[in-house]
Amino acid sequence: MIRETIAQALATMTTHRRWAALTMFGIVWGTASVILLVGWGVGSQRMTDDGMQKVGKNLVFVWAGRIGEDLSPADERRLVTFDFDDLEAVRKSARRIEHISGENFTFAHVRYGSTGRIVDVRGIEPVMKQLRGVTLAAGRFISPEDVKFRRRVAVIGQTARERLLGPRPAVGKRLTINGQRFEIIGLLDRVGAQLSRNRTLLDEQVWVPITSLMTLLGNEKVDNMVMRPYRREQNNALKSEVRAILARRVHVSPTDEEAVFVISLIDFLSGFDAVFRFMNTFLLLLAVGTLSIGGIGVMNMMLVSVNERRQEIGLRLAVGAQRRHVVGQFLVETLVITLVGGVVGVLFGLGSCKALAAIPGELVARPVILPEIVVLAIVSTTLVGIISGIGPAWRAARVDPADSLRAD
Amino acid sequence: MGDSEVRALDGIDLDIGPGEYVGVVGPSGSGKTTLMDIIGCLSRPTTGSYEFESRPVHQIDDVDLAVLRGEQIGFVFQTFNLLPRLKAVENVELPMLYRRVSRRERRERAMELLRRVGLANRADHRPAELSGGERQRVAIARALVNRPSVILADEPTGALDTNTGDAIMDLIEQLNGEGQTVVVVTHDPRIAGRVRRLLRLRDGVVESDVKREAP
Repeated sequence: MIRETIAQALATMTTHRRWAALTMFGIVWGTASVILLVGWGVGSQRMTDDGMQKVGKNLVFVWAGRIGEDLSPADERRLVTFDFDDLEAVRKSARRIEHISGENFTFAHVRYGSTGRIVDVRGIEPVMKQLRGVTLAAGRFISPEDVKFRRRVAVIGQTARERLLGPRPAVGKRLTINGQRFEIIGLLDRVGAQLSRNRTLLDEQVWVPITSLMTLLGNEKVDNMVMRPYRREQNNALKSEVRAILARRVHVSPTDEEAVFVISLIDFLSGFDAVFRFMNTFLLLLAVGTLSIGGIGVMNMMLVSVNERRQEIGLRLAVGAQRRHVVGQFLVETLVITLVGGVVGVLFGLGSCKALAAIPGELVARPVILPEIVVLAIVSTTLVGIISGIGPAWRAARVDPADSLRAD
Repeated sequence: MGDSEVRALDGIDLDIGPGEYVGVVGPSGSGKTTLMDIIGCLSRPTTGSYEFESRPVHQIDDVDLAVLRGEQIGFVFQTFNLLPRLKAVENVELPMLYRRVSRRERRERAMELLRRVGLANRADHRPAELSGGERQRVAIARALVNRPSVILADEPTGALDTNTGDAIMDLIEQLNGEGQTVVVVTHDPRIAGRVRRLLRLRDGVVESDVKREAP
């Protein structure tokens, strides 16, 4: 019976060839647009996410600030500072931290030979490599021993290398930072454009052990802490956990957001998430709209088919078919026709995604192919098929067997 | 005041027994078709009652009526009403599709009936490849496939030439000879001359109801 239904659906298509071709085009195009548009939306989202995250995935930054909620003028309020003990306290007691590194920074006078530049110099711990997600082009990264013995070693970014050294190999060369000699032990791979903030250009920085920078600057302060929760959902829990620990240690109110200043990339991205959710929904509606136009075509074709087959319907009713049999038959036929277009559309959509993804160029978002999107496309097409079938099936079920059998 | 009610049938009081061979004749508009629709359970009388094997049809719901049609009534039409895309044997199987009959049993039973009407060798042909007489034989096989209580034929020879028509009537009479109840609605005086009970309708009433012995 199912084989017969499928055969009948195909027969309907062949008896209305031109119409069927047009209708099929609508369904194919609609299904393909679901895959293409949603894939492209998700692709754009990923591209933005990756760009934002080049500064390091899901990072949370904590700065020591200045006491807020106070009656004194802003510049007379107590400055808050963190030291190694505060860093260790957070490292030991915060339960949601995957990695944490202290960080110091200064704009220092860096010199190689006769070339001098003002450079963003950061004092860091070895785990910063995981936090920032950087890789080495040459040499090695800063080790725990480098930090422990306050070694004067440096890892430099690609842009910093070009400005100071030109095309020369960097590892093994000596720099002076504020007059002190440092040896270059590693060269980072290029990180590239960051979408988050133009201040944090990793490629322009020179990294040294946090302790070495403390010695250079003559204090034992930790300017900020860079950390990451195990999971993105732990963002808020981590923020309040860290704020509570530090507020107690530096004697400020846990609600003082100026004293312990927290910025989370995850919050930043969540804002974008909302935008992309809206955009993806819009694109999906657009695609489903296209699909529905195809659905209307299928519906019309089936309505005509019902009219042409009144006698057949009457006969089936006469030989014992119930209304539900007739309804089922026309629903399934409509669905078969729609799904034929749907399958072609899925293939066409996947092909277009692949083709678009192959176009070179940095800032064109590449459509991504996800199983969920394919499922979404098939589900949408099926729904459109069922909805398009309701009208014709209802009309078929209302055929009066007595009348229709004597149509000629 | 707009009393435009048309009574297709009026005051009909009729009883058809098992094994009868009944012809219904009458001019156009006499109510033949309406009578046939009611006998065949395709529609219910607006008022009055119709009982099929002691079941009051006017009280049966749509679903049960569909089942009753499928199981108890075999239709034969003037224009055969075969589905053009199906093979002869598949057309014969059609009434069994709506009952719980296994695929194998359907095929066996359909082939048995095609043999019965002399078309076993045409089972795989489609209606377009069959002659008019052959098509009507397929339709008769289809009508018989659920072992109905009554065969209801509406102008069964109307689209056939005289010889072929006679052969079809021979087949129908042969079935009647085996105890099958048959009701034929017709214009054809040749058929009217062959039935054993003839109902003449005029303006929705039975004008005459004549029974006669088999020749």
